[in-house]
Amino acid sequence: MRWGRFGCAVAAAALSIGCMGPALAQPAQINMWSNWPDEPAKKDWVSARVKEFEAANPQCAVKLSFIPKADIYTQAKSAVRTGQAPDIFYLEPDQPEFLAGGFLEPLDSYIDLAGLEDWAKPAWTSKGKVYGLPVEAYTVELYYNKDLVKKVGVDVPANFQLTQAQFTDLVKKGVAAGITPISQGVGDRPFPGGLVLYEALLRKLGPEDYGKLLDGTLSYKDPRVIEVMDWVKGLVDAGAYPKSFSTLKLGESHFYFYNTPGSLTFPDPSWFTGRAFAPPESGGMPANFPLGIMQFPAMDGGKCPECKTLAVAGSFVMYSKSKNKDCAGALLKSMATRDNGTKWMEQVSLQTGLASDPSKIKSAHADYFAELNARNKGVKYFFGTPLFHYRAKCAETYTQVMNNAFPAGLISVQDAADKMNAACFKG
Amino acid sequence: MTSTAARPDDVKSPGSVADPRRTSWPVLVVFLVPALAIYVGLTAYPAFRTIYDSFFTIEGLDATFVGLDNYRALMSDETFWVAVRNTFVWSFIAPVLDVSTGLLLALALYAGVPFARFLRVAWFTPVLLSYVVVAILWMWIYNYDWGILNEVLRAVGLGALASSWLGDPNLALGALIVTHAWKWAGFNMVVCLAAIHSLPREVLEAADLDNCGWGAKLRHVIVPMLRPTLLNLYILAFIGKMKIFDLVWIMTGGGPLWATETVSTYVYKRAFNWNTFDLGYPSAIAAVWFGVVCAAVVILNRVLASKDRLEY
Repeated sequence: MRWGRFGCAVAAAALSIGCMGPALAQPAQINMWSNWPDEPAKKDWVSARVKEFEAANPQCAVKLSFIPKADIYTQAKSAVRTGQAPDIFYLEPDQPEFLAGGFLEPLDSYIDLAGLEDWAKPAWTSKGKVYGLPVEAYTVELYYNKDLVKKVGVDVPANFQLTQAQFTDLVKKGVAAGITPISQGVGDRPFPGGLVLYEALLRKLGPEDYGKLLDGTLSYKDPRVIEVMDWVKGLVDAGAYPKSFSTLKLGESHFYFYNTPGSLTFPDPSWFTGRAFAPPESGGMPANFPLGIMQFPAMDGGKCPECKTLAVAGSFVMYSKSKNKDCAGALLKSMATRDNGTKWMEQVSLQTGLASDPSKIKSAHADYFAELNARNKGVKYFFGTPLFHYRAKCAETYTQVMNNAFPAGLISVQDAADKMNAACFKG
Repeated sequence: MTSTAARPDDVKSPGSVADPRRTSWPVLVVFLVPALAIYVGLTAYPAFRTIYDSFFTIEGLDATFVGLDNYRALMSDETFWVAVRNTFVWSFIAPVLDVSTGLLLALALYAGVPFARFLRVAWFTPVLLSYVVVAILWMWIYNYDWGILNEVLRAVGLGALASSWLGDPNLALGALIVTHAWKWAGFNMVVCLAAIHSLPREVLEAADLDNCGWGAKLRHVIVPMLRPTLLNLYILAFIGKMKIFDLVWIMTGGGPLWATETVSTYVYKRAFNWNTFDLGYPSAIAAVWFGVVCAAVVILNRVLASKDRLEY
């Protein structure tokens, strides 16, 4: 009898909950992992897009986490295999294994592809489908301190591009004046040490042969490649890089350039702004810093002095086994708009693979933008940095040799070319 | 009242409740199953699964049987052999530094240096720090521009010796070994100190009566009597260093030019930083290294423990 009453009570409770179902329905929660925990402008842009989406879509809730890139990759690699990956996560096109492994959902049916720039789509296109939302794009730039460059007695020409000899002269004058010519460190990144060398190689070889070098069909023993490596080796031996090059971290190399001790130049992708435009008390660039942007030097007999590297970096992808693809797709769709692209450029002061309307940009860094646009006028873009093209052992050899040992002066030109050929050359 | 004396026909077969060293199967099962389940789930299965995976190439969710191909590839993998060399250098040489530093510190405390209580705590503190903290601390110490090591060298007029300690392939491994020795010196000190205090007092007093000086007493009395302890510490340190990962990963990532690459960092790179989801090849490295560590421990056990039984 007692059990009978208890059963009735349970049934009544279940019925009443069932009737109240729609009123108590919880929004479907999706998980999203974003990079940029230490870059306020980008973090704010992502947070704002998520908040807007939640306000417009009460049936979806987003659990947004900001995690350093390396940790996202490590965790995602384990999580995708076990079905535990977040519905949306940060990825860059240099991690193709996620796509090859079938862990990414094509976005064509979720987002309006007109919201993406045409030049950015190929970075995430495979077999005719688009798999990533290319939020962050960049060009490789050579920033410089106008005052210090002038102080050592070098005039930047009207086209903002030094010749090979003039750049060598700049380095030597910097060293003589006790000013580090190039702020660069590879303590926590696999790519910065190769920026000067590979931008020089692009300008010397032109996009076609440079592409061959990066896809392993042109040898590092090619005389033009050796000539450029010899030139860079000369800069290294002259003292172009900081003594702490091997252990200097990316954030520290920013500080080194625009704060203490200061350097003449700072080669960096144009995402430079993410750190530089943070408040000075958070390690950003001082307000009155005399920042300039020059082109990387033109190589003697170079095939393409007007060439420059363009790439897609921070992007968002959808996990193919997401249990809430509708909400995840709707969130990505809401992000992929021209308005949001414009806001990104306005807030972050960095290019984007989302469609945008530069005429509407109202930024406190308008002067910077004007200079960046001027340095990118009439340039011929080559798509992708070396690590975008290199894979596995070749990428690891690039990291150890071209990113670290060669610019640190630890290895000769011949040895570096031999090691790169052994790992990358398919000829 | 029952008699407690067991008659011959009362003697139960092994496993019966009458044998105080044995118990019934249900009780055995209750006590054994949790431990066995944890061992099988978290040790045995992952180990066997790693060996099993080493015979496959795993792309995404598909596994393809490749037999011994991963092992053949491993034999011609230059980076693997560099990692093996570095790990062996670290494992065989660094424990000598660890143990001798610990012994020296213990002897200093035993000899009654001033502020012994404070020093004992201070020297032991690094053991309590995580590898992450230790790594960051020593990256500051080794910093070329403002690290205390180079600053001291410059201050005493030896600026020419200031170096990029972690950036020079000739110095980086040594710099890491010193850092590791610093972290573990306190542990070795505590063990050595306990062993010294447990040495038979009459032997030390006899040495004193024979006018044996400190050096001679150390060489002919203390160290020989501490030999089993020192060997145990050496083998413990050896095993730990064969698996070293965190300190290297944080401080150098295996660079520059693979000068500090260890087998563990290479396994991690192949598993997570190689633009592939393939766990077959890294599993082959792990399987080979598992065998090497086991073999090395057995050999060391035989070579070093011919007279003294080792416990670790």
